[in-house]
Amino acid sequence: MLEVLFIGLSLGSILLLVALGLAITYGAMGVINMAHGEMVMVGAYVTVLSGIWLGTNIFVAIPLAFIVTALLGLLIERVVVRRLYGRLLDTLLATWGIAILIQQAVRLEFGLTFLGIHIQGLGPGLQNVAVPPFLQGTFSILGADINRYRTFIILVTAFLALMTWFIIYRTAIGTQVRAIIRNPKMAAACGIDVTRVNALTFAFGSGLAGVAGVMMSGFKTVFPDMGTSMVVDGFLVVVMGGVGSLLGSVLSAGILGEINGLVAAATNDILARAVVFGVVIAIIVLKPKGLFALKGR
Amino acid sequence: MPMKRRIDWAIYAAFVVLVMFLPLVMDAFWLNRVAKYLVFGMLGTAVALSWGYAGILNLGQGLFFGAGAYMLAMSLKLASTTSLQQGSDKPVPDFMLWNAEPGAPTELCCINKASFLWLPFQSQWFGVAMGLILPVVLATILGTIVFRKRISGVFVSIITLALVLLVRLVVIDSQPVTNGFNGLTDLGWFNIAGLEFDPYIVPTYYLVAVSLSLVLVGARLLIDTRAGLILQAVRDDQNRARYLGFDVPAYQTFFFAVSAAIAGFAGMLYVIVSEFASPTFMDLTFSITMVVWAAVGGRSSILGACIGAILINTISATVSETEGFAEAWKAIIGLIFVLVVLYLPRGLAGLAHDFIDRLLARKPAASPQPLRVSDASSQLAE
Repeated sequence: MLEVLFIGLSLGSILLLVALGLAITYGAMGVINMAHGEMVMVGAYVTVLSGIWLGTNIFVAIPLAFIVTALLGLLIERVVVRRLYGRLLDTLLATWGIAILIQQAVRLEFGLTFLGIHIQGLGPGLQNVAVPPFLQGTFSILGADINRYRTFIILVTAFLALMTWFIIYRTAIGTQVRAIIRNPKMAAACGIDVTRVNALTFAFGSGLAGVAGVMMSGFKTVFPDMGTSMVVDGFLVVVMGGVGSLLGSVLSAGILGEINGLVAAATNDILARAVVFGVVIAIIVLKPKGLFALKGR
Repeated sequence: MPMKRRIDWAIYAAFVVLVMFLPLVMDAFWLNRVAKYLVFGMLGTAVALSWGYAGILNLGQGLFFGAGAYMLAMSLKLASTTSLQQGSDKPVPDFMLWNAEPGAPTELCCINKASFLWLPFQSQWFGVAMGLILPVVLATILGTIVFRKRISGVFVSIITLALVLLVRLVVIDSQPVTNGFNGLTDLGWFNIAGLEFDPYIVPTYYLVAVSLSLVLVGARLLIDTRAGLILQAVRDDQNRARYLGFDVPAYQTFFFAVSAAIAGFAGMLYVIVSEFASPTFMDLTFSITMVVWAAVGGRSSILGACIGAILINTISATVSETEGFAEAWKAIIGLIFVLVVLYLPRGLAGLAHDFIDRLLARKPAASPQPLRVSDASSQLAE
């Protein structure tokens, strides 16, 4: 039983890992970033490439992926998203286009395939990342075998969630972000540089996705399409938790992860995912604002 | 009839005539391809109806398409001679036989626990009826729940998206009845009074072309009705429409169901021309792709969305013939999409409308005053 609960916790932490960045971009900025899954994918590829070309392990890849995806996020915000504030559904559509672009960029190796150049680690194929030996295998607690790497993911997720919480609730820029969540126009009237804060928020959310990608690469095959299903899961977590509520996202990720783990143990993985979708639909129908909605706006 | 409306109908007529004359210049292979794209055009229309006119961005249109497709595919599977010659003289789908428990009776009623669901599908017209009824019933239930609760905007999109993925998983998981991942293949031909609709013959093309024309004209007439105008009022300001005393959820649900019926109809036609049904119809990517077509063509234009779908697919097919270019084309599609959302939110149809407006404005108007009034009324009707 402990093992099943642990699996659930692990699934929940993976959900949260992806959802954390979305909770910020969607919650704070009202941008539905469908390219978020591609940011995860880019993070995973940073791990692959740094492993091949620099010979480094995933610990080096974490800051590297954060920087790369944050810069990519900044670029996307500057070029596209900035023009679409207040047009929620249009951000969804435009970022879907961006998602396709990023996928194809990786698949075509930034167009170099047309010149006959091949970069090892890119392209349409599958990639794998080796995990450092001390993160492999299992250890046992109370007679239950616990996977080391999954534990590592849970710890990293917890750290990232705490860090995000700290930034949002205990720093000056976090206060500005929260002000924008409540009322962007009023925030601007109070002297907050909304454009700049939004750009930084988007970059931070994208960077979190990049770190999520590094963690994903350790236990999943890396390929150009890997992000598409993740972004959906991420959104379900954020919407169920309540838009703009960090705590809501944490709890709903935990709940959905445990439901997924328990149902999967009793039946199979496919049905477990179906049940998760069902639960989310039921909650959105019953409480459209999510479990922990902010008042106001 | 105001000038603008007359031009509008002239364009519809031109489109229908063009579609009807295509068989004169095309071989069977391309005709089959174009028939598929016309089906996608119908999907574009369904999306435009719910998105452009009802303001409901349905990211799960694939659910209705898939429902229609599977219902007819079940009937056609039972009509297929090749998939029945697998050691049984009774009509039992081949995949059920392959996976049957040893000693199970080889009959549709009881070869596995749920195979009795297939029994009524021995009649092709039952499959056709269900292909429309199932999407409409699903949409009505969903719409009633969602719109009565006054859920709107992105939340509707998320619900529909989660629902289509849920159903997709259930279909995959119900392997004994649906053949899971593999879907229903090796289907028989659709049959009307002895005429068999081989996907590569001209009558099949006309079946699709005539269906599309009827759907287009029907949808265009529908949005000009009183109900259609009220719907657009709801889209623009839900609360105002509600305070004016209109039963907002009823209108939304009705048009949501009409859009679902069109998508289900398209699903059936697609099964006829492509001879398979598979869970990929309910993939997230496919449902969003439909929205892309509608957005490029013009989200609030019935014909524009349809042409957008046909255009994108035709260009894709042509371009993909060049080896190595297929992947690059996908990237171009992504780019086009970003550009359309940024710079052309009304799509190609918006461009066409502006062009017509400019033409009309350039013409020396004999009496400017009435022209402006009629312009306003035609805009109201759009």
